[in-house]
Amino acid sequence: MLLVGDSGAFALGPRSIVERLGTDALTHEDRKSLAREGLLVAEEDALGQVAHGHALAGRIGGAGALDYLILVPTLRCNLSCSYCQVSRVAERSKGFDWNDRTLTAVLEIIDALELDQIKIEFQGGEPTLRPDLIRAVIERCERFARRQFVICTNLQRLDDEVIALFDRPDVFISTSLDGDVSTHARQRTGDAATTDTFLENLRFVVDRYGATKVSALPTIDPASPPDMDALVDSYVVHGIDSVFLRPINYQGFARKRHAEVRELDAAWRDYHAAFVRRLIERNWTDRSRVLEETYFSICLRRVFQPGADRHVDLRDPNPVGVDYVVVDYDGHVYPTDEARMLTRSGVIDLAIGDVFQGWQGDMRDQLNAHATNRFDPTCQRCAYQPFCGRDLIDDLSRYGRIDLPRHETEFCRRHLAMFDLVFEFIYSEEPAVRHSLARWLRLPGTPSRFGAVLS
Amino acid sequence: MIRLTLPAMADAERPYVARLGRTRSTNGVHDFELIDEDVDGATYVGRNGLVAIDGATSDELQGDVVIVDPAGGRAERILRRGSTHNTLLVTERCDQLCLMCSQPPKKTHVDRFALFEEACLLADPGSLIGVSGGEPTLYKSDLLGMMERVLSERQDIEFHVLTNGQFFDEADIVRLRDPRYARVTWGIPVYAAEAVLHDRIVGKERAFERLETSMAMLARAGARIELRTVLISDNVQALPSLASYITRRLRFVEVWSIMQLENIGFARTRWASLFVDHAADFAPIGEAIDQAMLRGVRAQLFNFPRCTVPVAWRDLARASISDWKRRYADACSPCRERDACSGFFEWHPTEQAEAGVRPL
Repeated sequence: MLLVGDSGAFALGPRSIVERLGTDALTHEDRKSLAREGLLVAEEDALGQVAHGHALAGRIGGAGALDYLILVPTLRCNLSCSYCQVSRVAERSKGFDWNDRTLTAVLEIIDALELDQIKIEFQGGEPTLRPDLIRAVIERCERFARRQFVICTNLQRLDDEVIALFDRPDVFISTSLDGDVSTHARQRTGDAATTDTFLENLRFVVDRYGATKVSALPTIDPASPPDMDALVDSYVVHGIDSVFLRPINYQGFARKRHAEVRELDAAWRDYHAAFVRRLIERNWTDRSRVLEETYFSICLRRVFQPGADRHVDLRDPNPVGVDYVVVDYDGHVYPTDEARMLTRSGVIDLAIGDVFQGWQGDMRDQLNAHATNRFDPTCQRCAYQPFCGRDLIDDLSRYGRIDLPRHETEFCRRHLAMFDLVFEFIYSEEPAVRHSLARWLRLPGTPSRFGAVLS
Repeated sequence: MIRLTLPAMADAERPYVARLGRTRSTNGVHDFELIDEDVDGATYVGRNGLVAIDGATSDELQGDVVIVDPAGGRAERILRRGSTHNTLLVTERCDQLCLMCSQPPKKTHVDRFALFEEACLLADPGSLIGVSGGEPTLYKSDLLGMMERVLSERQDIEFHVLTNGQFFDEADIVRLRDPRYARVTWGIPVYAAEAVLHDRIVGKERAFERLETSMAMLARAGARIELRTVLISDNVQALPSLASYITRRLRFVEVWSIMQLENIGFARTRWASLFVDHAADFAPIGEAIDQAMLRGVRAQLFNFPRCTVPVAWRDLARASISDWKRRYADACSPCRERDACSGFFEWHPTEQAEAGVRPL
């Protein structure tokens, strides 16, 4: 059985030790081996107490001061992807860009940031339709010692102005690549010519800047997922080794229309797990490169190296509107991009404020009063609690409420499956599995074991 | 090899601190001005009178902070300008007697804290100053007082203190929480996760138990800690279990340095029985590093020439050997990674060094 402590210490032990633990009948040897793994701390063990407290604190996702902005300078887009109903409008629409007042307010927010670091993600719509706004924001950030800008673009149109932005060493490019040509065309570009333009531009930026500057995400339709190898190959051919699988995110009516949404969720989990297994095989066959699925790696690293990733989708507590916010085309501020889309689809208004008045109000505080899994009765009984997180917006989006028993939520089912897979691999004897785990955990070698086994 | 102690003649009565320069441009009370130079050395004058230092040119001595000991007839280059390896040897006494000690302890102690304090205040901007021994915390209250005053006066200075961690107590928790200690790192050795083995290596009963007590206090103080483990044949196979121990009980440390043996002091006489040829079997070291890094403890290798480390772990091998006692084998000359490499200790057996390197 897997034993997990609240600090995230874990070991595999025989059922008998769990029974003795439950009946307060631990032997001296039991206590010693549990203490060795950090699963039990004796009262007189001062160092053990401190180590446990430190590990516990390390599990608490510290949301610091605001230093991460997701900006939507325009909602207009030059593509019309099949699943993007709410977060875009047609390219020629009027009134869907920041106006001068909005830009000024955003720049003032940037001026007021306390920290000496900033990360800004430009989303859309298609943000490169307004390179002038991107440039105005970036130029205002010169004062930060550390800065990183990510432009999320469909790479359909590269003009000199956009290339000049990409040329900056602090700018990174994020794009969507849904798999092979036909999948990408079906889901996004619509026709072969537009698809070719995208692929040419992707090739252009990868050649010009190297693959480390470019990341890409595939959006997967769980009802007809792409062939895994074809998907991987479409990334590998561009020198991109990390793939962040994303299921189509049905919003509002689209979700209601899909009565079979639960089956789709299950299909998604199966596809994801099979995909990770396939990567393990490929990494073992060709050890010259390390392919990874980003979200699986994030979950894996959360088991061993809490705090290693700053991934705001999976952490605990997971407060909103604190260290990062989304600024929409009209100046409204949302806790997450998903909250923005939910609001646009008319399900619920999740705006927590705007760039003119601020967002430190009741709305945010009400959400944040429930932003942890720590005291949730179901989570408290779950072995994966120290590694897992909480996503209020996902619950609201799916169920319109946040008080469902956890195990009845898709967030829970998805992460339960994820951590089941993580722990299956942690205790796997397969050299191929251990090889990939070690690479995904960024280790120089491959350790002889990842998890302890109590004797 | 750069000589740190040079013969010197001075007319003062007592030891004093001097900063050597070509001219007295900065006009500080410690500034000594070059007045003469010949083949033997350089002569300076300052508020304590004349001092003639042999064995180095004024170019080499330019900007150095020295302690001149007239009675001993020598000048010690305490802070060499531009060096990142300046270290204050605050005492030669020690309560432990490690099997491989590079600087075997002596019974006597000469208190030079006042001189060290004066010297530190003259350090180059942004200096990291090492403190070593013997065991510096045998004189803990003098040491802490000296560092605190220097850290207050000089916001740009940091200290790195090598200590066996046997003397911290409850009262230090509050004291070490002072923000000035954010600029102090404690380099603390731990040799094995098994108390018996650790105690045997350091030559002191219950040392491990006392170390754990101190570690708990240092953690509560938020102290910055670098763990150090010297590799010897006694502990090399126990290294992976030490790594597990560190990840479970000492995860609050900043870094774990695994150190290859220095062929000096006790280690010189016991070389054959202590030295581990890591190039022949890197497995326990690699496993230990992987176990540490798996759980987010940063690991690094000191005194491991880069070409002797398998490529997967090579980037963890640091140019760790102090500039004044570092050398490279003849075979190293074509190597492209020389600047990033520790090289060898000046006193490393030449044959062993020459045989072991493969230029990268």
